[in-house]
Amino acid sequence: MKNQTYANWHDATFWAVRTKRDNMAYGLEEWEQLREKASQIKRHTITHLDEYLEQFATKAEENGCIVHWAKDANEFNEIVYGILKNHNVKKLVKSKSMLTEECEMNPYLEAHGIQVVETDLGERIIQLKGQKPSHIVMPAIHLNHDDVGELFEEKLGSEKGNHDPTYLTYVARLSLRNEFLTADAGMTGGNFGIAETGDIVVCTNEGNADMSTSCPKLHIAAIGLEKIIPNYDCLAVFQRMLCRAGTGQPTTTFTSHFRKARPTANPMHIVLVDNGRSEWIGNPEHWEALKCIRCGSCMNTCPVYRRSGGYSYSYFIPGPIGINLGMLRDTQQHSGNVSACTLCLSCQTVCPVKVNLGDQIYQWRQQLDDFGTANPQKKLMCKGMSMVYGSEGIYNLGTALAHWANIIPSPLMNCGLNPWAEGHKMMEFPKKPFHKLIKDLEK
Amino acid sequence: MSNKDDILKKYRANVREKFDMPDLSDIKAITYPNPLVQFAKMSEMVGGQVIEVDSGRDVNVLIRELFPDAKEIASNLPEITIATRNPDTVGRARDLNGTDVGVIRGKFGVAENACIWIPQTMKEKAVMFISENLVILLPKSQIVNNMHEAYKRIEFDKEYDGYGTFISGPSKTADIAQVLVMGAQAARSATILLLPE
Repeated sequence: MKNQTYANWHDATFWAVRTKRDNMAYGLEEWEQLREKASQIKRHTITHLDEYLEQFATKAEENGCIVHWAKDANEFNEIVYGILKNHNVKKLVKSKSMLTEECEMNPYLEAHGIQVVETDLGERIIQLKGQKPSHIVMPAIHLNHDDVGELFEEKLGSEKGNHDPTYLTYVARLSLRNEFLTADAGMTGGNFGIAETGDIVVCTNEGNADMSTSCPKLHIAAIGLEKIIPNYDCLAVFQRMLCRAGTGQPTTTFTSHFRKARPTANPMHIVLVDNGRSEWIGNPEHWEALKCIRCGSCMNTCPVYRRSGGYSYSYFIPGPIGINLGMLRDTQQHSGNVSACTLCLSCQTVCPVKVNLGDQIYQWRQQLDDFGTANPQKKLMCKGMSMVYGSEGIYNLGTALAHWANIIPSPLMNCGLNPWAEGHKMMEFPKKPFHKLIKDLEK
Repeated sequence: MSNKDDILKKYRANVREKFDMPDLSDIKAITYPNPLVQFAKMSEMVGGQVIEVDSGRDVNVLIRELFPDAKEIASNLPEITIATRNPDTVGRARDLNGTDVGVIRGKFGVAENACIWIPQTMKEKAVMFISENLVILLPKSQIVNNMHEAYKRIEFDKEYDGYGTFISGPSKTADIAQVLVMGAQAARSATILLLPE
């Protein structure tokens, strides 16, 4: 982040969200029990997904929904476009869905002449700005109220210089209200799919998923395979945790159950998307990443995410879960992200479904050599360090002489041969090493 | 082979160790000495307003007092005689836009988070979201402790069996600079009228 004041605000804001999460968690004596149950339910469900998917699809079809299966992003986009074309849809209103980001659906539909309007306020802001989300729950968190104010002046004709968040939210409300009323179809993601009933459950604070499906004649719901859970008893566990962990609220404002279309609308379509998931389940070290319920708590607590923001990662989902999902997607493209971790393990301490996020990042790092994405210079330096740290004599000699390195001109230290100097400032070595300092104090 | 078969076949070939479903009956979920008091407290925390209605009091009069400037009031509830619009008989859902107050019925409330279970009981559910202000009628004896209890008793309507939602307070957002604003895309206020039996 270029602006230090804003970087500090970003860090403090997310720490505040983490604190709100703690208050919620500590407010329930059963919190840790819920985390354990949630983890076990997910372990069970994602290792029996074939049964639950069949049950879900059968039930949804009995309810009158049309269920589609998409193997990958391409197929998903084609299926959605096919449905929209059949219904002669010109404008689609959309509530937030990270799956459609994953599949890059919006540009695909737009290239085929369909207007796509994001209706979550944060998503709408970044859509108007031509950007991508920097957080999975708070997508426009990298922009401040002046950025949004100037954007709305240009795109929505808001008052010049009025950057009050309440006013700007109202301007967006009026503009989006018009979109809801004139759209031909509404699309939602889904936080959960319930195998026993066929419900698609969507949690929002704004009510935009409900607005997106209340006026248009067509509703398409898109969910990843791993979002299916067995029944309402399981849902109760996740509903209680999702929002407490993610934003520190006791619940989202709306927890909506979509079972079939409104009486005055066309049948509801559900698209179940694989796009890698059926393969990831076979990864012995990383399959548990599929337990994730996308609450965002791992990024809120991550010291690297808080200080660097969502755009410093190469995968579209940032933070600890994004590092892991990115590696499952493409090790060649996303290996760089595994360095964006201090292994503090705060992420897996807060994760409501106990995904071992930090451990997994550690595991990925051990495999970089196999992927051919390890840095050869760093490897050589590590060999040198093992020698130094492995021998007391060499270590003591080294630390005693280290301060001589201070007089090496910095261009020599920060040259291309030292990969750690990239983006880092060389430290200054003390004249007296720590061991000597302690020994002198003991005298 | 269909997509479905391909996907399931691939999954079955890849899945490794299988895990059992845990027992959920031993979850020690929070309960409250007085769930109604907790429900009211949480409702206010999430931005809602709670009013206990004395027996014999006409809710129509109360709603008029609460929203003296309201011109369009939408409801299909027989006891709401001041309604100017009916979500059962509007031509299109969008005709409900411009509703100042929507009045709907909740089945039960949840003490831990102020959620109210509201199955769709009208032709156009838009009334629950499109109204500027939402009034929810709730029998005050119908409060459960937590979501585990709630999910044991939710039911969809027999006639409109496609949709139901938990609503907790008014629509809200903090997407601009983390400042909390009530009234994002749905109702800007939520008033819960707790009714006697």
